[in-house]
Amino acid sequence: MAALCHFSFVPSHLSLSKLFPISRQQSPFHALNLTTSSNPSLAAADSQSRLWSPSFSVTASTTAFAPPEHSESTSLGDITRSDFPILGQNVNGRTLVYMDSAATSQKPNYVLQAIREYYESSNSNVHRGVHYLSQKATTAYENAREKVAAFINASDHREIVFTRNATEAINLVANSWGDVNLGSGDEILLTVAEHHSAIVPWQIVAQKKGAILKYVGLTADDVPDIEQFKESLSKKTKLVVTHHVSNTLGSALPIEEIVVWSHNVGAKVLVDACQSVPHMLVDVQKIDADFLVASSHKMCGPTGIGFLYGKIDLLSSMPPFLGGGEMIADVFQDYSTYAEPPLRFEAGTPAIAEAIGLAAAIEYLSSIGMQRIHDYERELANYLYNSLTSVPNVRVYGPAPSKIIHRAALCSFNVENIHPTDIATILDDQYGVAIRSGHHCAQPLHRYLGVNASARASLYFYNTKAEVDFFVEALKATIDFFTPYK
Amino acid sequence: MAATSASLRLFSQKVLQSPTRKLHTSFSKALILIPNSLFYLFASPISFQRLSKSSPQPIVRPRSHPQQQQSASSSDPPADDAVVNLLPPALREIVALFQSVGDDPKAKYQQLLHYGSQLPPLDPRFKNDEHRVRGCVSQVWVRAFPDPADPAVVRFEADSDSSLTKGLAALLVFGLSGYPAPVISRVLPEFVLLLGLRQSLTPSRNNGFLNMLKIMQEKALQVHNTVEGDCSDDYDDYHDDRDLTINVNGWRPLDYAAAKNEDYSSSADAEARFVLKEKDASLARENDMDGHAKDEDDSALVDGDEAEAEAEADVPLILSSGTGGRGERIKELLQSSLSPVELDVEDISHLHSGHAGIAGSRSGETHFNVKVVSAGFEGKSLVKRHRLVYDLLHDELQSGLHALSIDAKTPSEVKQPS
Repeated sequence: MAALCHFSFVPSHLSLSKLFPISRQQSPFHALNLTTSSNPSLAAADSQSRLWSPSFSVTASTTAFAPPEHSESTSLGDITRSDFPILGQNVNGRTLVYMDSAATSQKPNYVLQAIREYYESSNSNVHRGVHYLSQKATTAYENAREKVAAFINASDHREIVFTRNATEAINLVANSWGDVNLGSGDEILLTVAEHHSAIVPWQIVAQKKGAILKYVGLTADDVPDIEQFKESLSKKTKLVVTHHVSNTLGSALPIEEIVVWSHNVGAKVLVDACQSVPHMLVDVQKIDADFLVASSHKMCGPTGIGFLYGKIDLLSSMPPFLGGGEMIADVFQDYSTYAEPPLRFEAGTPAIAEAIGLAAAIEYLSSIGMQRIHDYERELANYLYNSLTSVPNVRVYGPAPSKIIHRAALCSFNVENIHPTDIATILDDQYGVAIRSGHHCAQPLHRYLGVNASARASLYFYNTKAEVDFFVEALKATIDFFTPYK
Repeated sequence: MAATSASLRLFSQKVLQSPTRKLHTSFSKALILIPNSLFYLFASPISFQRLSKSSPQPIVRPRSHPQQQQSASSSDPPADDAVVNLLPPALREIVALFQSVGDDPKAKYQQLLHYGSQLPPLDPRFKNDEHRVRGCVSQVWVRAFPDPADPAVVRFEADSDSSLTKGLAALLVFGLSGYPAPVISRVLPEFVLLLGLRQSLTPSRNNGFLNMLKIMQEKALQVHNTVEGDCSDDYDDYHDDRDLTINVNGWRPLDYAAAKNEDYSSSADAEARFVLKEKDASLARENDMDGHAKDEDDSALVDGDEAEAEAEADVPLILSSGTGGRGERIKELLQSSLSPVELDVEDISHLHSGHAGIAGSRSGETHFNVKVVSAGFEGKSLVKRHRLVYDLLHDELQSGLHALSIDAKTPSEVKQPS
């Protein structure tokens, strides 16, 4: 059925599922089965990797995590674990306890399958060519864009620009919007808790343009100081760059209000939603942000793709970022004309398979339900925080959770007199627990807190309370290991 | 400097030349009776390995495109033996020690942590950017400086706020201190794999071990190049102000042994055993050719036949006799090349038994004092004289000689005793 006309966009009623038939076994809905997956080879792998010991206290001989044999609870973690093939493996002789999802999340079979099937049946370059495969690929790619738009409730799919990751998205805004809109004396307002990717691109642009970066500090509760924020806003503020959920403090900011206050002084707002989009419902209509960025790899999608959300008027007014194929309309020897957004900002062949993987991830997450994920993670967050703070000499950064204050399911912490790298190394080497140590791409924050580095355990919906228990026991044992040398 | 080296009577005691695996269980008491304070002048422990005259060999050979390589050999990782042979003796001992700890990673980590706890804290004024090792998740500082006792070799100091990294730093400090820069440059990072610590060798911004080793090698070369230029001929200050109770690696043999005894008192082999024996002049034993302990898995019992090359009862002015195979060879080598008017070779290995630089080599003949008076040194700086001697003795250095304390003078510089 050769198409005689070449069309760039597929009408939105065409759904993804027609393009790559996924076997029912791999559909996201199988995740809701209580038994392990119906895929026989996967079940075999599961039983091999599980240690069916009823207890998981840390003793000298059984320092391995063992999920409960017959789970009384049907927590989301217990249910979804089997969807993630990587979680069953052994690390240094122990079952992996993965607590570094804030750095990158693991991928379910559904996503892996989608990427594979794209390459097996649909791969072709997009937006060019009239042959069957190229249309198939283009359709899939543009459907992915629509999926992302729907996921964050953007009003128009053209407001989604695919980038390599959130970092590139911020660089895009800095070099495109920032270049034409920032001038000498203009201010960019950030918090000290921002990720390096939200700071450095602005430092570079500000230096070129003569703009100034201003920072909002933390309160005694380790949250960004909202009062100080309000006071720092002025007519000079052209842009506010802020996280939604902090990757170190675990705190969430009142984003909607921040946007309102910022708009009142005429400033635009860029929201770094890397730690929020994967974990909760994010509605850009409610937030009313001008720009919002997120990365696929933190939300069960593949690496190599992320997106920038920008209001269509803004995007239309912005000059290109990278130049090349795809983002042009006509090319002459001495000049070119450019495409409309979003393609204006997508130079060269995009990460097509990755976009499709991201779409599959969104489908997977949606099949569970973002609200359900969020509720479960709140439980985990409180459990992690309470368990961790019960260990002597441990200091957790960020606010204590309460009815009003919701923490993300992550804790950055330090143990008195023991370097976080030491903790992380032994936790990994002796217990198979994967946490992160370092500054978590937030050096200004660590400097502000007066520490060189911290350890961080970050959870996702595939973690369980049992794993948290194991982690805390392993942590105590690790602390004991180092104590004689201090 | 008066030639009052005559009649130094040294009691050589047989101390446990333990295999390295038992290093942590054995106790070495270097009981030395020094009748003459001048003895200290000869007892500065300097470890050394062959100094190549040419510029330090590059670690990485330039290689052709991987697609075009005929054989896989240039891309294979170096064989264990090749790696070990490039290590200075002190580092080799450390590797052997780790290997003897067994396969339990926890025990290895404990050994590493113990090393770290032995590292003296770094003077805070060196904890600055100039000394910071980039590319570590923790803070690490490294300092390199010429050994005040022998400007031809480099000493290190280091510190870290992470215990495990400090352990790695300690390993490098103890293993590399006291050698000249070219020797240090030859050390391949692959040796760390032999320790069994699961240390990655992937170059990354966070690979603390790789970065530390690299920085130490660079700093050593910097020191080497600086010293080359401004080494003074005034060797009168050569011998002053050294605290000789601390050896070049920063340990007091007795303290170290005591610390070992405490830490491992719970382990099975914890009994400290040593034998004090006065040996008389004639007994000598063939060396283990590569200086390692012959059998690592002996029991902790002292091998009564452990030979110990003894020190001479009498040290004649011209030639000493009967210092065993190595002493003889050293004398012959120096004799034939330098035609010295005075040559004095003295085995002081027993003074150094018990520290990591020697542990594992049981047969003595690892540390020597060499005094040479020769016209061949005329016009040469102190550093050049030392290098000349090292070069002449390089085969010995390759085969178990750990350290030389060199006193090199021209005839005109020696005041004859009246």
